Amino acid sequence: MRRIVVNSLQRVGFTDTIEAGDGQEALERFDASVGLVITDWNMPNMTGPEFATALRERGARVPILMVTARSAREDIIEALQAGVNNYIVKPFTPQVLKEKIDALLAAEG
Amino acid sequence: MSAFLLADKAPASAPHAPTTLAGVASLSLILERATAELQTVLGSLRDNRAALEAATLDRLQQTSDKLRQVTSTTEGAATDILDALERAGALVDDLEAAERTSEPARAQAARDQLRDEIFSMMGALQFQDITTQQLAHAAALLAETEARLVQIARLFDPAATIVQAALGGPDPRTFDPGATTLDSGRRQALADAIFA
Repeated sequence: MRRIVVNSLQRVGFTDTIEAGDGQEALERFDASVGLVITDWNMPNMTGPEFATALRERGARVPILMVTARSAREDIIEALQAGVNNYIVKPFTPQVLKEKIDALLAAEG
Repeated sequence: MSAFLLADKAPASAPHAPTTLAGVASLSLILERATAELQTVLGSLRDNRAALEAATLDRLQQTSDKLRQVTSTTEGAATDILDALERAGALVDDLEAAERTSEPARAQAARDQLRDEIFSMMGALQFQDITTQQLAHAAALLAETEARLVQIARLFDPAATIVQAALGGPDPRTFDPGATTLDSGRRQALADAIFA
């Protein structure tokens, strides 16, 4: 799935990416140079909402985009409450990914 | 003349039998008690059978449904990829024709569309992520069924050694029980409404 996301990002013009295998690794690799976080929900060791919560608790204000198969109302709300800024449901198209990223980056100014 | 009293005495080697009325009544009581206990055991067996059915049939039905979803998801993705490959094939022909007749604009359009078709095929491969989660859910249901069956088996024989499958269920954090490729437009619309 990561390869598909990275390929889609390259397709829409985003080529500078850092990859992580799960939320725990992403937390370790995160630094101030990251301009946007894209995370799945279902991951071993640390789920997407847990990762988003941990990132916010660190004081990170970076936009977080969740890309996931989960689409139940309570799951979407949980992501929102965890600090996620936008949400893409799988399966997605590169166009939808680009729209969401552009909107997040525009909001950041 | 002397009177002789003869006592009626049973030989020492003969077995003792409940030939008295009190013995028969006692046997009747024992049989009554045994009947009641047998009925309790039968009742318990009926309850356990119902529990067994409830524990397993529902989970097995869900597992079966999940596996059908996997088949349908895979079939849908395969169809999408095949369709895209056919269109890509036609675009390659169009590209060749455009290059033969020196039509650069037509050739460029064909290349752009070809690139789109290739990326749509890559997108269709997202089915693998969905089916992985569907299969994980099916595995979790089977693990649950196994655990319940073991519990019920132990009711019959607490001392029994029961070998359970070493695999166990998958980590519930790694799959969504509702994972599907269907209706993505409606599901995305719900997410957009909540995040608006």
